[in-house]
Order: sequence, then structure tokens, then C-alpha cells
Amino acid sequence: MADSTFSTQAENAIQLSLNVLQDTALAHLSFADLLDHFEIDSTVNWILEGDFQRTALQFPDELLHVSVRIFRALKAKIGEKELYVLADTSYGSCCVDEVAAQHVDANAVVHYGHACMSQTSRLPVKYVFGKKPIVIPHCVHQLASVFASGNHDDRPTIVLKSDVSYAHASAQVAEQLRQASGLEGHTIIHEAICTNPSRTLLETSVGPSSAPSSEEAPTSDAAPPVVILYVGPESVTLTNLLMINSTCTIYSYSPISRTARLESPQANRILMKRYATVQKARDSDVFGILVGTLGVASYLPLISHLRSILTNAKKKFYTVSVGKLNPAKLANFMEIDCWILVACPEGSLVDNSKDFFKPIVTPYELHLALAKEGQGWTGKYILDFEKVLSAITSEGVSEDQPGDGSDHEDEDRPHFSLVTGKYRQAKKYGDEELAASENGTPGAVVLRNKDGSLISNSAAAMYLQNERTYKGLETRTGQDEPGVLEQGRSGIAWTYGEADEPC
Amino acid sequence: MVNFTIDQLRGLMDKSTNIRNMSVIAHVDHGKSTLIDSLISKAQIIAIAKAGETRWMDTRPDEKERGITIKSTAVSVFFGIDKDSIAEVKQKTDGTNFLINLIDSPGHVDFSSEVTAALRVTDGALVVVDCIEGVCVQTDTVLRQALSEKIKPVVVINKVDRALLELKMSKEDLYQTLLRTIESVNVTISTYNDAVLGDVQVAPEQGTVAFGAGLHGWAFTLRQFATRYAQKFGVDRAKMMTKLWGDNYFNPATKKWATTPTDADSKPLERAFNVFVLDPIYRVFSAIMKDDKASLPSILSKLDVVLARDEMDLQGKDLLKVVMRKFLPAADALLEMIVIHLPSPSTAQQYRVETLYEGPMDDESAVGIRNCDPNGPLVVYISKMVPTSDRGRFFAFGRVFSGTVRAGQKVRIQGPDYVPGKKTDLFVKSVQRTVLMMGRSVEAIEDCPAGNIVGLVGIDQFLLKSGTLTTSETAHNMKVMRFSVSPVVQVSVEAKNGADLPKLVEGLKRLSKSDPCVQASISETGEHIVACAGELHLEICLKDLEEDHAGIPLKVSAPIVPYRETVMAESSIVALAKSQNKHNRIWMKAQPLDEQLTSAIEEGRISPRDDFKARARVLSDEYGWDVTEARKIWAFGPDMAGPNVMVDVTKGVQYLHEIKDSCMAALQWATKEGVCAEENVRGVRYNLIDVGLFSDAIHRGGGQVIPAVRRACHASCLLATPGLQEPVFLVEIQCPDSAMGGVYSCLNKRRGQVFSEEQRPGTPMFTIKAYLPVAESLGFKGELRAHTADQAFPQMVFDHWEPMNGSPLEKGSKVEEIVTKIRTRKGLKLEIPPLETYYDKL
Repeated sequence: MADSTFSTQAENAIQLSLNVLQDTALAHLSFADLLDHFEIDSTVNWILEGDFQRTALQFPDELLHVSVRIFRALKAKIGEKELYVLADTSYGSCCVDEVAAQHVDANAVVHYGHACMSQTSRLPVKYVFGKKPIVIPHCVHQLASVFASGNHDDRPTIVLKSDVSYAHASAQVAEQLRQASGLEGHTIIHEAICTNPSRTLLETSVGPSSAPSSEEAPTSDAAPPVVILYVGPESVTLTNLLMINSTCTIYSYSPISRTARLESPQANRILMKRYATVQKARDSDVFGILVGTLGVASYLPLISHLRSILTNAKKKFYTVSVGKLNPAKLANFMEIDCWILVACPEGSLVDNSKDFFKPIVTPYELHLALAKEGQGWTGKYILDFEKVLSAITSEGVSEDQPGDGSDHEDEDRPHFSLVTGKYRQAKKYGDEELAASENGTPGAVVLRNKDGSLISNSAAAMYLQNERTYKGLETRTGQDEPGVLEQGRSGIAWTYGEADEPC
Repeated sequence: MVNFTIDQLRGLMDKSTNIRNMSVIAHVDHGKSTLIDSLISKAQIIAIAKAGETRWMDTRPDEKERGITIKSTAVSVFFGIDKDSIAEVKQKTDGTNFLINLIDSPGHVDFSSEVTAALRVTDGALVVVDCIEGVCVQTDTVLRQALSEKIKPVVVINKVDRALLELKMSKEDLYQTLLRTIESVNVTISTYNDAVLGDVQVAPEQGTVAFGAGLHGWAFTLRQFATRYAQKFGVDRAKMMTKLWGDNYFNPATKKWATTPTDADSKPLERAFNVFVLDPIYRVFSAIMKDDKASLPSILSKLDVVLARDEMDLQGKDLLKVVMRKFLPAADALLEMIVIHLPSPSTAQQYRVETLYEGPMDDESAVGIRNCDPNGPLVVYISKMVPTSDRGRFFAFGRVFSGTVRAGQKVRIQGPDYVPGKKTDLFVKSVQRTVLMMGRSVEAIEDCPAGNIVGLVGIDQFLLKSGTLTTSETAHNMKVMRFSVSPVVQVSVEAKNGADLPKLVEGLKRLSKSDPCVQASISETGEHIVACAGELHLEICLKDLEEDHAGIPLKVSAPIVPYRETVMAESSIVALAKSQNKHNRIWMKAQPLDEQLTSAIEEGRISPRDDFKARARVLSDEYGWDVTEARKIWAFGPDMAGPNVMVDVTKGVQYLHEIKDSCMAALQWATKEGVCAEENVRGVRYNLIDVGLFSDAIHRGGGQVIPAVRRACHASCLLATPGLQEPVFLVEIQCPDSAMGGVYSCLNKRRGQVFSEEQRPGTPMFTIKAYLPVAESLGFKGELRAHTADQAFPQMVFDHWEPMNGSPLEKGSKVEEIVTKIRTRKGLKLEIPPLETYYDKL
């Protein structure tokens, strides 16, 4: 059995087909077109201006085949400075992979292809989206006619948004829309996506975000609802836009199918699906915090915050990092009832959640699920980490006071589960551990600190140690001679130091 | 009569031999509530301001408006029996005073679950049958339920006055009508007879059948007349009773009894029942209704009826009521029948303990229940929740089977999912108050001993609908109630105003608490689903939800009919599925489960809680299973008890036991969401043929095995000609022959199948029984009334699941169309996933 296991695996590795939709059109671009499409000149200027000694070029799988040509084009113009090509990102390719960039000790990253525009924490980034073709007059005409079919007299403001790969045309679209018939009397706001933001945490914390990301709600809660026109194909970006702005009327124009339509009815359906998932999370006792990003700003404060609200809710949790998600990986953690995915906005909403054995929620949804019965869900939806954090902390404080009084007498009262239509009694974790350690420390840390003694006391830990320890595909216990430990090489993959020389 | 104080009442509660707990059950409109009115106006313990008000037991405004009972209501009645009658009580008694706890139950089929909840806490049942309409579908249903709960029935044939006044039946015709009605009740009783309960067929000559008119407040058993004549003729009362029914004829000339309707000279004789029982009644009726004031006083004096002066001035029906009430007071006749023939808690619990209690029959709780011991360990079964005036809070309504429940007592609250020795669904809380439920009012009492019906305050937060309260740590649960109706009519509701969502959720919780049968849940697509037994039930539930429980305007979708997925043949080839890590393989085949076995599982006759050896024996004896296979049923599903099984037919597989739990979990998943339309699966047997498991435990954990087994289940179903089953109502329609055409055309239009058509003898009324798919039943009632000029009323009760013709895999079939609709509604991909999605190549 073991043998066959290994052989199938080997075959698999060779036959493994990645589901990559290669943009074949790009492969035949002329050199001049390439320069234009990938903004070679402006990239060069950016590198030279910033005086970055080492720059990482991050490509998504579908653009990997043009990486060499881009590298050469850039290299020819920047001379001495070094360039590295990064591929196969550990999480979503829409995010800037800062960790990989640090492996080559890069000073800056140029990110190619579709991006989620999440704030990064460490390195200056230049985004190159690629300029996808679009017929602007057709787009304007379609949007104007679909817009005219609805009644928007009470919503004078129109916000034009676009997929990042059509950002290059959005200014023109906005300009032409202002002159189009049927839209008189409406103010059109066009949010340009800044492609050269150098957005680091430092800068944005000083001033307001220089690049409004496409997911952000265009208006604050108090402002009247607006109409959003979106240019781009059906994608996660559009889905997110729909969810966050569920009160707005949204029209989209897809340059690929060349049609425009009203998207808003979908929004409610998507939201209700999420609502059902939140109900499942409410019924869960053991949570897994999935680390799905290492680049998005303030992911660490968010994770620690998640830990603290889970501890307060007396839930058990584990923190798990598995890279890119797939059902098989998550299915290995049977004990976990519900996953919380901490990832960039576009990666957060796992689409085919049906395949996964357990529900996957976003941090904001967890916050809703842990809120008191029936509370929380208002149709508002937040994906951005900063906003989630501020929402959780602000609402958390205000909720604590009334919660204390009424819940005091019957803490172990069962709650009504909408998933089963029955009462459900939540398990309480962490009471004893908390009493033993100082307050506020998450349970998982206690386990690790107290090493052997605590583990041997806990039946659950014993079970995990016996049943769930990885012993390798082929266990050859007692058949092999124990090897002698040797000093290995040290360092990182970039430069291994020799054993004798200190690194 | 007597106004008892609570203290005196409490004293009676201690004598468990002198308590009768009984429910009043009948078809809708056969006059339960009115009959109870006549009982409690006379003998109710606590004085009520509006004594005599009609439909006292109907506590809700809409119940009065519609004239139907929706919720079951309890009331206690005191009855003192005379000394010489006490000898006829064939069980232990203590004194001549009796406490009778009556529960009025709804008659409409949609509210059958209320009846079930009422039956659980009582030991006897008063079955009310309309003299004209006879035994109807709901009479049959509730009687069957009563017998399965081991509840002894007595019968009252109601509305006898109608036979006299409206139909003007002759005495012999009336006798024949009564005889037929009693016979048909007995047919039902003998069909569902229970060995433990013994023969409980009813017979007038034994005093277990009463005749009366609830509206007029009179009723009698043969015992009343026998007593009267026994004194007059100086014969034995028991002997007299037997003569007063059946083919017994009295020859006035020879003063001899005969068993043939003619005397020696072939002159016709009159039946004793007609002469001695019906004749006085007929005379009173004719004297009063023909306004024959002259003959009335002599008749009255013969019957020992004395009228007050102002009553003498009454006319027609009012006078008739007064006279008949004095002549044959309903309360006396019925309460006497109840006391004599229905079992006391201490009698009943001896034989009911086996059907009531899940644990071993020799543990302390079982012993306490059997002996109805007020000093034993506490066992209370909560059968339903009754809303209090405090919004959102409920009384837990139930019966003390053993021990004594006190205010302030700490009890173990065991929900339906409680497993002895584990902590799931278990709470230890104290009872805040104990109360007596008296119709619409409650009276606080300090404690309540075994054998009584009680309301408890303070535990409603820990039980959703029903559960067991105990003080014994070893106590098992009382058996959960099985409802005869299923929630087959569903709608999705949403708040009109999105911000009201929290209120809606809270309202759904309260709704599902307040009704034993309704189910509230959320679908994958995020819709809030409310599932009810029928259209009327749904209407009432939604009204309650909107006006009371949630208090917000609602948006309600069109009704959704649930379907069941099944298979129609054995899998053509063995289905193989691999785990995601490709290290484990599952081979499986699906085959249809016998329809009878499927319903046996659904009715709980075969359940996962049975001992596996006993179950295997039954399966092999009754359903032709191989014994060794039958012993290897791993799991039932969905919800661990559904009508699908997974059977281990593997041979010598290593580590097999380790994946049993995973297979069980996978079966729940696969049967909850079937492969075709993600509806529940029904009637499928999954045979686990072989498994290949990886040697390292970590690679055959549940995470790997569960999805693989689920895929194998789905693949095997796709290979076994998947089919769909639709829910079908049994419809009973009573209508005059002139409306028959309209009834038939309505039924035909809606795929209805008439299987029985009977005329009520002596009336132009027909009873039509038909099967009608639930999907077609929506709006049926309205259409029927329109087509028959309001002359026909259907009663619809869920009957069975009917396999539909065709397979969802056939393009263009009706079934495929339905599946597509369901998938659209659920937001799934429109096509049924192809076999390759679940079937792996080796």
C-alpha cells in the first residue's frame, strides 16, 4: 500500500494540472505593446526614483509566461539594480507577498496582474494591472441605458468604480458618462485607483489612504445611498462590492461579454447565504483561526483580537496556517467546528464553501456570531481589517454593559439554533485554564507554556498525542538504525552558510 | 356545585388512586369543547366569574372566532360518587371523592400534535363521536394514537338531539345508527389493539359508551337507566344493563325477556333499549317540541324532574334543555363513566411504564413510575410549553410520574438529546414555582405529587418543546412523543423591515416553543423556514408569529413542498470513492429499502435505540433480511434516526471499526442532502461493500473518510436509478350527493385519487376519501368550497410519501422539472452533478 502511495504521488506531481487560464493574447504581444501593457517605463522610473537596489517582481500563475520578457525589458533599462521574479505565492496571488520578497531582501515589490489592493505593512509596492482592452463608447452607452431603466431620482450621486485591469480607462468613461444623456442632474464621482501608491502602513497612518481601494464603501453610513456603476467582469471584486454596499443600487458593465446589468438583487442573496453561515458559526464550539495572509496590514492585531473575543466567549480555538486552502487540508482538522479565515478581502470569501466540511467565516462574521442572540446582523458587512477591528472594539464595549446584567443569572442557558431548529447548549472552554493562569492569556498559549505536565493531565491532549501525531507515510519503527545527529548548514535558502562559519 | 379551596384540592392530589387524568379527543366539530363546558359549569373546582360562558376551554380569541380549538387546555374537576357505585370501580380507591383532570384537545387534523402532547400526560380518553357523522378520519387518527400510548378509551356519542330534531329518526333507526357508530369505533380499537392494555373495545352494556347532547347539556349511560329500573322492578342493576342493549326484547304481555324481535305469536316486540331508554327521551322531546303542555307534567313527574317556577315558562328548545339537563345531567353521567371505567394514575402507570420510560425496567425511576410513588425519585415529563402572560416566557406543562415536584427544588432537566452518563442536553436548575393550570387561569401550589398534571415556572429556558425532569442521576429519558403529522407545508418568512431581523429570530424561537409540531430553521440560502402540518396550522402559526411572537410585519413566500429522494433499483455497479488524500477507498452500493420497513423506522417501531440483536430478529422475521447483515446496521440517517440505513457487508477489513463514526457522520450528511436536489433521502439502504484504508491512523481520520463515504453514498445513489417521493395527504370530504360532481372535478384537476366513497346510512351525506399530493393541495379548500357552494369541507392529513414516476436523470421528465425547480430555489447549479463528480476511478 505504502509503495503504491508513493508511486501515485510521483505521477500526480507530474500530471498535476494547475487550473491556470493563460492569457494567450499576451504571449503574442509585440515588444512595444508589452512596454505599454505592463507599464515598463513607469516601472523603471519608479525603481530609479526610489533608488531600490533590489526589486522583486511578483507574478500570478497566469502571467508567469511573460515574466521573462518583462524581466528583460526592465533589466535593459535599469542597469545595475537587481531584479527577482517571484512566483507561486503562499496565499492569494492578489496580495503582495512580502515574506517572499524578504527572502531576497528586496527593497520594493512590483506586483503584476489582478490585485486586491490591501494595505501592506512593510515594503513599497507598485501595482501593474495590465491594461485590458475596452471599448469606451460602448461601455458608456450600455451603462447609461441600463441606468435609465431604473428610477434614481432620490439618489443624485453616482460612483464609478472599475476592476483594476480597466482602471486605465475609467477616467475616460467617467468623463463621457458626464456628457451622456439620461444622467443629467447626477453627480458622478470617479475614484481613480492610484497605481503608484507606495502604500506602507507608515504613510497611511499619517495621512488618509492615498488609494481608495475598490472594496471600500464609497460613503459613510450616514450618507444617503448612492448608485454605483462598475466596469469589469463578474469577479470576487464585484461580489465584495455588492456585499459591502448592499444598500446601494449597483450596475455592472462587463467588457468581455459587452453587456450591462443590474446587480443589486444578487447582493441580498449572497448576504443571506453568509447569514446562514454565521448561524452555523454561532453553533460552533471549537474554532480554527486560519492565517491566510502575512502581508495585509494589521493582520496580527486582528488575530490577537480574535483570540481574545473567542476566549471571552469561552470558545476553544486553534491557530492554523495552511497556505492556500483546499478541502483536504482543512478536513484533517476534524475537531474544529468552524474556521475563521484571516485573509485579504478577496480571499476571505471562500466561494465553493459546499466542498468544505466545516463552515468558513470572516472575522467580522465571527464577531456577529458571538454577539448576543439575534443581535448583530443588520445587513452591514465589513471585510477591511482596520474597519473590522474598529467595529469589533467599538461595538464590543457598548455591548458589554447591558450584556452583563441580563446574562448573569443563567450563563449556561441553551440558545436556539436556527440551523437545527432546536436548543443547543454551548460547551464552555477555558474556565479552569483561565483560573490557573493569569487572565487574558489565550488557552493555546497556556498549553504550550506548561509543557508536559498540563498535557498529560488533559485527556483531550493525550488523545491528540496518540491518535493525531504524524508518523509518516511509512512507519518503519524499529527497522532502521537510529542515525547520529550532525551539524547541518544554517541560514536561509538564499545563502546557506557553511557549517563551520557562523552565519 | 362545590367550591373547593386550593388546599382541599391539594389534599385530593395526594390520593393517586382517586385521580383520573383524561383527554377529550374527537374529530373536528364533534363537540368536544361544548361537552366540556357542560361538565365544568357544574363541577369545576375553582369558581369562575363567567361560569357557563360557552367554550370555556378555548382560551385564545381566534379560537372563539373560528369556533375551533387550537391549543389543548387543562382543567380540573371535582366529582363525588355515591357509595354504592364505588363498588363498580374495579381498581383501588380511597374514599368517594375524585379529582378529574380534563384536557380538551383540538379536533382539526392540523393540530394533531397538540393531541399527542395531551395524550402523553393522561391515562384515559373520552372519545367524542358525532351521532350523525360517525367515525371520521381524525377520530380514527387520535384513537390510534391513544392506543399506541396505552390510553384507555371510553366513548360518548354526541349530538343525539340532532337525530331526533333534525333527522326525525325513528327509535329503531336511531338504535341502528348508534350501533353502527359503536361498531366502527370498535373496528378501529381492535385494529390498533395493544396486548398490554388488554381488550378495550367499548360496549354500552358495560357502561363504557355514553349518549348525549353537549349543547343541551344532557347525556346518559345505560347505567343511569339501569339504576332507575333496577329500583323500580327490583332487579339487579348489572343484569338490567346487559338487557338494555343489543337484541333483547321485553314482552310486556308475558313480562318475559326474549332475544328475538317477535313473540310466540309472531307479533313484533320492541327492543328493550327503545322501550326503556329511548322512549322516555322521545316523549319528552315530542311533548316539548309539539308544545304539548298538558302531557308534560305527568311525564316530568314520572321522570322525577322538578322544574323551578320560572323554568316552567320557557318554551321550545330552551325548555327542552332545562328538562333534559335535570333528567339526564351530562356531568353526572360522563364523570361517573370516567371514574368507573378509566384507570387511575397508579393503575395506569403499572402498564404504561414500559412504553413511557427508556431506561431499564428495574432502576429506581422505573420503579417509582410503576408504583406512582410520591416519595420516589422525581420523574416529570414535560409535554408542551404554554405561553404565560409574561411575553416570551412559558409554563412547562407536564405530568409528575414519580416523586413530588416542589417549588425551589433542584432538578435535572434532560432534553431530548440527553444520553445517560453524559452532559449533553442536561441542566441542573431549580423549579421556581409549581402551578395548577386551570383553563385560562393558574393557581400556585407548593408541591405536586405523582400522578398529577402540573405547570412549572422557571425551566422554560432550558427545554425547547418537551423533556424529562428528574432528581435521580441514573434516570434515563421518558420516550419522546411521536407525532402523527409531519411538517410538510413550508414557507420562508422574512421581516419586511430588514432591521427587524433580531425580532424575527426571537419570534421563531418562541413560535417553535409554543407549538409541539412546528419547525423553524434556516436554509443554506439563508431563508428562515417555518414548517407546519397543514395550511390552517401554517396560517395560525404565521399569524401568531406576526402579531405575537415577533410582533413585526412579515413577508411570506409561496409554500414550499418538501420532497424525498430515494432509489428505485440496486446500484448497477459498485460505486467507488477515494478520500481526498487518495489513500482510502470506499466501495458501496445502494438499494431501495422495503416501503413497510421504511415506514416502520419512521414510526419508531424499528429504531436505532433498539437492542441490535432484537432488531435483527425482527428484521429477519418480518422483512426478510439476512440475520448477520441485519446485525450489522451501522447507522440510521438523517438525524441518526431517519429511514435510511448503512449496513456493513464487508469481509475482514482491517481498522474498519475505526471509521464507523466517520461513516455514521457521512450517512447523516449524505441523507440530509441527497444527491439530486439536496432534499432528505428516504428508503435507501447503503451497503458498505469494501474499504481500503491506509495503515497510518492520521491518514484515515474523519476528515478524509467522511467526505469519501459521502461521495460513495451519492455515487451509489446515482447508479441506482434515483427517484423522488412526494408527500400525499389523505383527504376526507363530507358532502351531500348534490355536491359530489364538484368534489370529483376538483380532485381530478389536482391529481387526486378517490379510493373510498360511502354514504352515511339514512342521510344524503357522502364521505369521500382520496389521496391528494401536498403540492396540489394548496388552495384546494377554497376551490372546493367554490365548486360545491360551500357544502364540502375537506380534512387533510399527511398520509404517506408517494414515489413519483420517472427519474430525475431522465431529461424532460416531470421529476426532472421538479428537481430543477428545487435546485433553482436553493441556488444550486441547475444540473444534477454527473456521476463523475462522486465516482472515482480506481
